[in-house]
Amino acid sequence: MDKKNKIVAISGNKSAAIGAALSKPDLIAAYPITPQSSVVEALADMIANGEIDSTMVHVESEHSAMSVVQGATVAGGRTFTATSAQGLALMFEPYFRMSTLRLPMVMAIATREMTSPETVWSGQQDAVTVRDAGWIQVFAENNQEILDMVIQGYKLAEHKAVLLPVNVCYDGFYLSHLTERVEIPSQELADEFLGSYSCNHVTLDPDKPMAVDPLTSSEILWRYRKSHLEAMQNALEIIDEVDIEFDKVFGRKYGGAIDTYKIDDAELVIVTMGATTGTARVAVDKARDMGYKIGLLKVRFLRPFPSQRIKEVLNGKKAYAVIDKSVSFGWNTGVLYNEIKSAVSDLDRAITSMPAIGGLGGADISVDMLLDCIKKLDEESKNYNGQLATYWFE
Amino acid sequence: MNYIDLLRESEDLVTLGMSACQGCAAEMCLRRVLQVAGRNTIMTIPPGCMAGAGVVGWNFDNGLKVPVHIPLLDNTASFLSGVSNMYQRKNRQDVNIIAFAGDGATADCGFQSLSGAAERAEKFLYICYDNEGYMNTGFQRSSTSSKGSKTSTTPVGIKGGGKSQNQKYMPLIMAMHNAEYVATASPSNMKDLVEKVTKGIEASKRGFAYIHIFSPCPTGWGHDTNLSIDIAKKAVKSNFFPLFEVDRGNWKLLDNKNPIPVSEWILRLKKFSHLSDNDIIAIQDLADKRMELLRKLSS
Repeated sequence: MDKKNKIVAISGNKSAAIGAALSKPDLIAAYPITPQSSVVEALADMIANGEIDSTMVHVESEHSAMSVVQGATVAGGRTFTATSAQGLALMFEPYFRMSTLRLPMVMAIATREMTSPETVWSGQQDAVTVRDAGWIQVFAENNQEILDMVIQGYKLAEHKAVLLPVNVCYDGFYLSHLTERVEIPSQELADEFLGSYSCNHVTLDPDKPMAVDPLTSSEILWRYRKSHLEAMQNALEIIDEVDIEFDKVFGRKYGGAIDTYKIDDAELVIVTMGATTGTARVAVDKARDMGYKIGLLKVRFLRPFPSQRIKEVLNGKKAYAVIDKSVSFGWNTGVLYNEIKSAVSDLDRAITSMPAIGGLGGADISVDMLLDCIKKLDEESKNYNGQLATYWFE
Repeated sequence: MNYIDLLRESEDLVTLGMSACQGCAAEMCLRRVLQVAGRNTIMTIPPGCMAGAGVVGWNFDNGLKVPVHIPLLDNTASFLSGVSNMYQRKNRQDVNIIAFAGDGATADCGFQSLSGAAERAEKFLYICYDNEGYMNTGFQRSSTSSKGSKTSTTPVGIKGGGKSQNQKYMPLIMAMHNAEYVATASPSNMKDLVEKVTKGIEASKRGFAYIHIFSPCPTGWGHDTNLSIDIAKKAVKSNFFPLFEVDRGNWKLLDNKNPIPVSEWILRLKKFSHLSDNDIIAIQDLADKRMELLRKLSS
C-alpha cells in the first residue's frame, strides 16, 4: 500500500468523512441535516464504490442514528455518525447515555445555530449547549485538523483510561463547505496509528451474559459519575499523548488541548475556538504591526476543559477578550467566556476580561471586526479592571 | 417438538425474584418467550412493567440468565438495529435478538424507531406486550387503550367517561410494513403463542418480525388476579383480539364465526364498569368490523 500522503483540495465535510473512513468504522448510522449531510453522503459513496467495508444504517431520525450506533458499539463495533443543531438536540437522550454508558465512538458536529429564529446557518450554539453531557468535545480550526482529529478521536475515545465518546466539532459552512488544502494520510499510516480495534467496554453477548445498565441505586450511581469525571481528567493527559504520537506517525501536531500564537510577550490576549482562530491569527499579526502587544489563545478542547493550561497562559496578562459564537442565557456572555473566567478565577491577580459575541446564525467575523475588538479591549482595559461590558460584533 | 414438551424441558431464564403484580400476564409471556428462545439470546426490555419488575436487574444483579439491556423508552428498535447489524457483521446470525416492550414503548414514543426498523427489515424479533396503558407508572392512557377505558389520565367523573378515542391497532400497522413475520398472540392460546414465537425467531434471521401479545393487567384493569387467562381467552373468543399471522405475505386468521359478546368479559373489568349499553354496543361494533377486515385480508 502507498505510504505517501495525498494532497487534495476538499471541504470540511469531506475531510470528516475521509477521517472516518481511514478509521474503518464497522457501522455508520446517518440522517441528513444541513450542514452535515455531505459527510454521510461521502461515506455512502465510499461504501457504494467498495472503498470501505462499513455497514451503513439509513435511520429515520438522529435519535435513531445515536441509538443505532449505541447498539452497535455495545455489540462490540467501532461506529461513526455526524449531525448538526436540531439533529443534535433530537438525539440528546441517547447522546447523554452514550457517554454515561462509557462507550467510545466519534461523532462529527458541523456546528450550527439553534432555532429559533428559524435558521440553518453557522454558529456553535448546538455543540456548546450539550457540553455537560459527558462527551469529549474538540473544535477544529481548519479542514486538516478535522480529518486529523477524527482519527485522533478514536485513539482518545478508545483509550482504556478514557472510554468516552468524542465530538469533533467544526464550524458549519465556514469549514463544512469551505474547500482547503488537506493532506490525506495513507490507510497504512492510519492503521499503524490506530491499530486494530479492541473492545474494552460493556457488551451484550450470549457468551458473556450480563445485564447492561440495570436499575442502579444512588450509592452506586455516584461512583459512576465520579469515575466519569476522573476519565475526563485522564483525557487531558491522553490528549497530549495522542497528539505527540500522531506527530510521530503523520508529522503534524496541534499542541494538545490548547494552542497559542504570539503569546509569550503579549499583554493582551484574544481567545478563540474553531474556525475564527484562523482569522484571529491574521488579526493578531496586523494588530502587532499597529503596535498592540497581542497574542492568541486557541481553545481546542471544550471538554475536558484544559483549565490549568489556560490559567498558566493567561497568568500575568493584562486583559483578554473571548470570542464566542454562542450565548449563555442568564450570563449576558457567551459560553466560552464563562469557562475561561472560571479557569483563571483563582489567580492571585484578576485579569480584565471582555466577553465578545458574534458569528451567530451565519454572520461573518472578519479580520477588521477582530481588530476593532482588539482596539476596544486595549482602550477599555486601560481604565477599568474587571469584567468589561459584552462586546457584540455587529 | 410438542409445545408442552418444549415448555417442560426448557429452562426458565427469568429470575424467580421479580416483582410483577400477582396475575400479570406479561410476566408469564416473558418466561415462555425466553424458554422458546434459549440462552443464545440478547434481550432488550425498555422501561415499563417488566423492566420495573426487575427482569433487567438491580445494581450488580441480573434479572435474566441471558444478556439484557434496558434501552430508552423510545429507542428499543433502533438500539437493536445497531446490535443486530453488528451480529450480522460478526457472522453470528445464530444469536436471537429480541425486544420485549410494552405498548407505550411500542405504539407511542417508540413508534417512530419501530417503524424505521421494520421498514429497513432489521433482523430481530420485536414483541409488544399490550396491557393497554402505562401500567408501570400508574395506569395512564396510551394509544392502545381501548375506547372507554378508565385510566389515571382519562378518569371517570361528571364530565369524564374514560378514554374517548378508539385504540391504535398496532398489528395491522406493522403488517403494512412488509415485515417477514407479523402475528398476534394471547397468553390464553399457549400452543399458538409458542408456535408464533418460534416462527418469529426464525423470521428474524431473514428480516423484521413483530408479535403483538394481548396482556391482561389485573392491577390496572381491575379484575381478580386469577382471571387474566380467562379474560385473554374471552377477548379472543369475542373477536375483540383476533389471532392472526402474516408470514412472508401469507395471511392466516383463526376465524371464529360464532363469537361470544364482548360484554361477557369487559363488564368484569373495573376499567369498563362505567360503560353504558351504547358504549358496549360501540365496542362490539368495532370488534366485528375489525374481524371483517381481517377476514378480507386473509381470504
